Amino acid sequence: MTFLSIFPKRVFRSLAFEFRFRLNGWTLTGLALGLLVFLPMATVLWNLSNPPENWEHLKETVLGTYLMDSLILVAGTVLLSVLAGVSCAWLVTCCDFPGQKFLEWALVLPLAVPTFIAAYGYFDLLGIIEEKMIPLVIWARTQSPENLDNVIFLLDSLKYPVTILVMASVLYPYVYLLARASFSSQGSRLIEAARTLGYKPRSVFFRVALPLARPAIVAGASLVAMETLNDYGAVKHFGVSTFTIGIFRTWLGLDDLSGALRLASLLMLFILGLLVLERALRAGAKYDESKNARLPFRRYRLGPVGSGLAILCCLVPLAFGFLFPLWRLGSWALSTYEKILDWTFFKLILHSLSLAAISALVIVSAATFLAFVGRYFKNPSIQASNRLAILGYSVPGAVVAMAVLIVSGQINLSLGVILTGSLVTLVFAYLVRFLAVAWQPIDSGMDKNCAHLNEASQSLKSTPLVSLLKVNLPLLRPSLFAAGLLVFIDIMKELPLTLILRPFNFETLSTRTYDLTSQAQIAESSVPALCIILMVILPVVWLNRKMEAKP
Amino acid sequence: MTKLLSVRGVTKAFGSGDRPAVDQVSLECQKGEILAIVGGSGSGKTTLLRIIAGLEIPDAGEIDLNGAVTNAPNAFLPPEKRDCALVFQDYALFPNMTVEQNVFFSKASKQRKLEVDKLLEQTQIAGLRKRFPHQLSGGEQQRVALVRALATQPSLLLLDEPLSHLDPELRDNVRTELLGLFKKTQTTALFVSHDTEDAMAMADRVIVMREGQAIQVGTPAEVYSKPLDRYAALLFGKTNFVPLDLIPNAPHHFQDEDSNEKVVSIRPHDWQVIERDSQSSNSAISGRVSSVRYKGTHMELKIEVETMCILANVETSHGVMEGDEMTVFPTFD
Repeated sequence: MTFLSIFPKRVFRSLAFEFRFRLNGWTLTGLALGLLVFLPMATVLWNLSNPPENWEHLKETVLGTYLMDSLILVAGTVLLSVLAGVSCAWLVTCCDFPGQKFLEWALVLPLAVPTFIAAYGYFDLLGIIEEKMIPLVIWARTQSPENLDNVIFLLDSLKYPVTILVMASVLYPYVYLLARASFSSQGSRLIEAARTLGYKPRSVFFRVALPLARPAIVAGASLVAMETLNDYGAVKHFGVSTFTIGIFRTWLGLDDLSGALRLASLLMLFILGLLVLERALRAGAKYDESKNARLPFRRYRLGPVGSGLAILCCLVPLAFGFLFPLWRLGSWALSTYEKILDWTFFKLILHSLSLAAISALVIVSAATFLAFVGRYFKNPSIQASNRLAILGYSVPGAVVAMAVLIVSGQINLSLGVILTGSLVTLVFAYLVRFLAVAWQPIDSGMDKNCAHLNEASQSLKSTPLVSLLKVNLPLLRPSLFAAGLLVFIDIMKELPLTLILRPFNFETLSTRTYDLTSQAQIAESSVPALCIILMVILPVVWLNRKMEAKP
Repeated sequence: MTKLLSVRGVTKAFGSGDRPAVDQVSLECQKGEILAIVGGSGSGKTTLLRIIAGLEIPDAGEIDLNGAVTNAPNAFLPPEKRDCALVFQDYALFPNMTVEQNVFFSKASKQRKLEVDKLLEQTQIAGLRKRFPHQLSGGEQQRVALVRALATQPSLLLLDEPLSHLDPELRDNVRTELLGLFKKTQTTALFVSHDTEDAMAMADRVIVMREGQAIQVGTPAEVYSKPLDRYAALLFGKTNFVPLDLIPNAPHHFQDEDSNEKVVSIRPHDWQVIERDSQSSNSAISGRVSSVRYKGTHMELKIEVETMCILANVETSHGVMEGDEMTVFPTFD
């Protein structure tokens, strides 16, 4: 009864109206699909309400560590990524120096390097630093045991800056891309206005460009945070105990599914909190939207010293995130490729490619259908279920994997079809996790290009199918292609989800890389790792070109 | 005449707690009639049009169109099943299709090929069949959108700001063309405009909207000369609000909310100058001319009277100077 009284009569009436007059084959299918994609996440969230028996134990022993490590890692990575991304974006869009054109696109290249592979490129970094600290330990031992404890604590904490550095060096492009688009589109006119009003470059940056780019920067930062929480390979390698590690450890190590579920649901809460924070920080994001195409823009001309500093500033993240790992992997690959390259390896490439391509096709189709149904019928319930369905992108792969396993286990039981461990489950899990990646460009493309046209075709008494096939799809071709590429890139780079849900004996490039490194064959793992980077690099460069042309 | 469209008590609010965009609007439209909805921006006129087209769902109210119930508390006819067609303000031509493909997009148009071909001839766009929308001028795009809508043979044609994208020089021609086409095709049309000139030139009846409410309905002449409030009067151009006490013989007046007194709306060109030593009128008003502006066809005078300032248009042959004393009286047709 209390539940009923929360809802005003009006909501009930409009719901009843919805169900009587606005449900048809399209909207029902859309609703079902959206809810199906949300189902795994709902399953995880449901667990918040019933804590398992050993929860108190988990809470007392490890929860604090997981929370602490996640917070430190997210905060550090976001901060460093924003610093690198924003400063590089400002330099390449608003300053003129030798190499600026090259750096403008080269700076996105680290996007092709998955975090776990970057970590393998730096696998011995932590060890080297610790080695350098040995004299300090010896010195501390001669002083007092209290000092020794402090030094050991310090040594143990070194894993944080190292992991943060490695993560940020490949994740900063998310911030860079969005900040660059913001600076070069709406910013340019206002930056010019500020300059004619006598502002010096410094104040133009801090008082005009930065506040204007805030929504874009926050959006980029939240992507970085999500990716950080999603990572499994890098944190495992450096021994940072984030939530994802905790979930794997509790579930597969301790064989405690309910505890792992509980952790996953807490992680989801944590992320929902992040999303709320993002929304608050992005307040006023409307002014980020500009209809102007990239305008000709007079850049700041830098002198020799300024140019040198600018080039250095841009080269540092590029070197850390791309050149060094690539060089290292390359040199290892040269010495090990004979051992690794054989027929099974080509099968591996084929697996990875076909899995990513098929999943991209499925996901783009689903996203197009959902976006179309939501926009064409303007049905509030579909729009709501779409919002829920695209939440999956903010949920780490480990959580999605567990949730999908539970759901498919239920289906196994009730329908007698064995879904667990099949490719269908894996593709569905990708759908849950990456629907938003495809949905975003498609939905905004529809909003921009097709909103009125869909109304026009309704008014001309045409069917939804005709509008979809003859109006929406032809006009959305670029968006569909971009969406497909984005999903393809993400799936090629994906590790934790694939690791858990792949069918028995089914390997992809990323799982092979992981397997080899966990057998301490870091040098050998460089061959599949390089393959991933090389296959992803072309789509990344192409997408970057497209973003530059139409910010 | 038979009734084609009936709108009763339609209300629509976009956010809860906000003032409704459309507030208890009722109107009727007869077969063959051309009806204009005028109002400033934010008056809810476009929302009303979209509700009639079925593109928005009202919170309350009923609509019948050509004998079918389209909106009722427990009924809703989707836009594709309504016997009307909408011409969008931005025309909404499919950019990936030629003029021909656009015009023959609807099923109905494919079945009436000959008639649609005739429409294309009449609107002089038959030669543009193979062009794409971006290769057309604004006027041509508008005609394509119009033919595309008419090709479905709707019993009611809805137009959202049909002339707003056209140059001022073009507008007058297009008004005449549109009217001619409506008469030839015996179309019943309901259009929305913020430009009262469009409404007066084309419509048989005008509905004035303000803040979501229909505040006055009448022929253009009625609404122009007998406005029901200050807003409706000003919407149709410059006017003077003269207290009723000064002009007791006025055939029409309204209660003004601003000054809270009965006032008469008198258009600048309705004043007649009283020549010296001629007849006197009991509603004559005298004052000093404070400004004279030459307007080509006439002169626009500001006459300072005790408590107010009167705007009056007089013929250029009057040799008026600033500072002259002048007596004027209103004429009522």
